[in-house]
Amino acid sequence: MKKFRLYYDKDAEQNWLQKMSSNGWALKNYFLGIYTFVPCEPDEYIYQIDLLDSCSDEKDFLAFLEDSGVEVVSRWYRWVYLRKKTEDGPFEMYTDIDSKINQYSKIKKFFQTVLILEVICFFIEFSAALTSKSLLYWSFTILIGIIVLVFLRMVWKCQWKIEQLRQEK
Amino acid sequence: MENNIPLTEALFYILLAVRKPNHGYGIIQEVSEITDGRLILGPGTLYGAINSLLSKNWIKLYSEDKTSRKKKEYLITEEGKKVFYKEVERLEELIQNSKLMEECV
Repeated sequence: MKKFRLYYDKDAEQNWLQKMSSNGWALKNYFLGIYTFVPCEPDEYIYQIDLLDSCSDEKDFLAFLEDSGVEVVSRWYRWVYLRKKTEDGPFEMYTDIDSKINQYSKIKKFFQTVLILEVICFFIEFSAALTSKSLLYWSFTILIGIIVLVFLRMVWKCQWKIEQLRQEK
Repeated sequence: MENNIPLTEALFYILLAVRKPNHGYGIIQEVSEITDGRLILGPGTLYGAINSLLSKNWIKLYSEDKTSRKKKEYLITEEGKKVFYKEVERLEELIQNSKLMEECV
């Protein structure tokens, strides 16, 4: 079964994958918003989503995960979809506050970078729209403007989560 | 070394679990067993902790067999043991002083 979804929030995405697993559908592959599911036993897997570090050795990290009994289901750019069988016990990638804060900081940085690129694109499209007065350029400008707002919201959301975690300390 | 104390619970138990050569999965298993499932280390948390312990020289890579893709094993260093026992000393002091509570009853 294939489903198309656009998720920006990995926590919401993770919850959805978990719900699918509860209903007997296991994620097999992800590519550009298309999720491929195959039947599984209800609640057979626990899913986690993680963002790979840009600077550290990702091969080493993925090998470490496999050694720890974690299956790398799918990978898209720096995002990885991970799972473990439910019968093998609880599975959460980050279990203390510091490493959780670290993870959200990493995600925030990722969205900040994308946000900057999108803002640059926005101004290029905007100036093209102004000079050409073409409807096509204007619609692109609006589209990119919306994307900019979405990423801005994600950066803000990560910051909010980091602050919540800091208060728990 | 002073500001490394107190150790976080996770670091304390990781150091304990590598008193003999142990790999990532083994560390997670052992810590969960000896704490009766109270402390479950997430693989992401453990990975970060191992790297920070390696860079502090409190643990070292014990074996890495590249040919057979064997799991990496880690072992505590002398420096790591020193930090561990320093923490144990602090914890003993806590337990010792906690007895004062009973005296007032």
